Amino acid sequence: MHQRNYMFVFFSVQKALFLREMNSKFSTSRLGVFWTFFQPFMQVVAFVLIKMFIFGRGDEHFDYAVFLALNFTAFNMFNGILGKSIGAFKANKALFNYKQVKPIDAIIAGSLVEIFMTGIVYSMFLFVGYYFDFGMEGKNILMVGIGLVWLIVFSFSFALVVAIGDTFYKSIGKIVKIFTFGLMIFSAVFYPVASIPPEGQAILLYNPLVHFMEIIHGSYFHALDTRYVDYTYIAIWTITLLYIGMWLYQRLEKKIISG
Amino acid sequence: MTLPDGNIGILGRNGMGKTTLIRMLGRIEFPQKGRIASAQTFSWPLSLSAGFIATMNGRSNVKFVCRLYGKSDKETEDIIEFVKDFAELGDYYTMPINTYSSGMRARLNFGLSLAFDFDYLLIDETLSVGDASFRNKAKEMLQKKIEQSQILLVSHDMKTLKDLCHIGLLVHEGELHYFDHIDDAVKAYEEINKKAK
Repeated sequence: MHQRNYMFVFFSVQKALFLREMNSKFSTSRLGVFWTFFQPFMQVVAFVLIKMFIFGRGDEHFDYAVFLALNFTAFNMFNGILGKSIGAFKANKALFNYKQVKPIDAIIAGSLVEIFMTGIVYSMFLFVGYYFDFGMEGKNILMVGIGLVWLIVFSFSFALVVAIGDTFYKSIGKIVKIFTFGLMIFSAVFYPVASIPPEGQAILLYNPLVHFMEIIHGSYFHALDTRYVDYTYIAIWTITLLYIGMWLYQRLEKKIISG
Repeated sequence: MTLPDGNIGILGRNGMGKTTLIRMLGRIEFPQKGRIASAQTFSWPLSLSAGFIATMNGRSNVKFVCRLYGKSDKETEDIIEFVKDFAELGDYYTMPINTYSSGMRARLNFGLSLAFDFDYLLIDETLSVGDASFRNKAKEMLQKKIEQSQILLVSHDMKTLKDLCHIGLLVHEGELHYFDHIDDAVKAYEEINKKAK
């Protein structure tokens, strides 16, 4: 057997890990396929119903159901990528027996799975939205896309740092879990920043996820805009996390493999 | 130290670093000092704590490893059939790995590694598990295999070592001793064991 090209090895590993994860998602039960896609869908429906019953129809100039679906799915992707990273190296330990599988491959493949699932869920919402004639018309779809891609890079960087940290200090995973639990409420998933009083806004805007959500829904709805987004602020977050992640990773990769 | 091509048997008492040596050659453990360089390809280290995904069945695990090595669909099908025939797991082939006994895992792992063409197979004790008939079969297959490729074998079974290898390495107290002939390595190993008593 001859030595193989680096990129070819990388793609083989990614393909194998991706298909393994898909396989385990769908083969656990007959309803596996159904629930992976239907669960986020139902959550959005539940939130919309709760909102309408408690607060009435509201006076927004945009379709609240579409707003929720857009934000919620994006936030779920962040949550999924981060959640997968906790304990990821330990869970994939057996695979490091094959030298071509590097720990970071597990994080990349995990993120790819989440991105794929997010794509499917968005497609479902698009289909349902057009079929039932929701207010689906987007203002700046390109910017929404850029926001999502940026969010992916941010989530991946965060996930890498957490995965490495959690491998050496178990408490890091626990702390991250506690923090992300309540994070959704403070991430402008259920409301635009514009609807919050100014004192609240100042605090909320420390949360980088708020900026991502604002890019996404601010670019989508004509009634909203991206004036609260501080691009430098989230760029610093992303670059810092990515740098710390990469730095830790190249220092500790061997330790994680043979650990 | 430079090792010549050939089938190499590795001996040593427990805890002296035989498994670590094998794992370093498989590039999943790394030397604190020095470097290992080779133009040859090595298999994954075949050990009792094999690298399988416990919740997936044997067949899917075989498929997974084929994908890791970038095999085409046709080759993958062939390998799946080959391992099925070789490992003789019957219905267990399509049951999760965590239902397997250690002997069954070893069979699967060994069969799988035979399906690939490496320059060197790294075998850590896996031959000593399994029942007599499987051990014979494995040895036979290995003898056929070493016509094309080579092996690095860790074993406490002197007869197997002598049959399959002709170069000997003895790991003892942090040092690696090289022997041109496996027989000399076995003698040196028996010396050490006598002293320990």
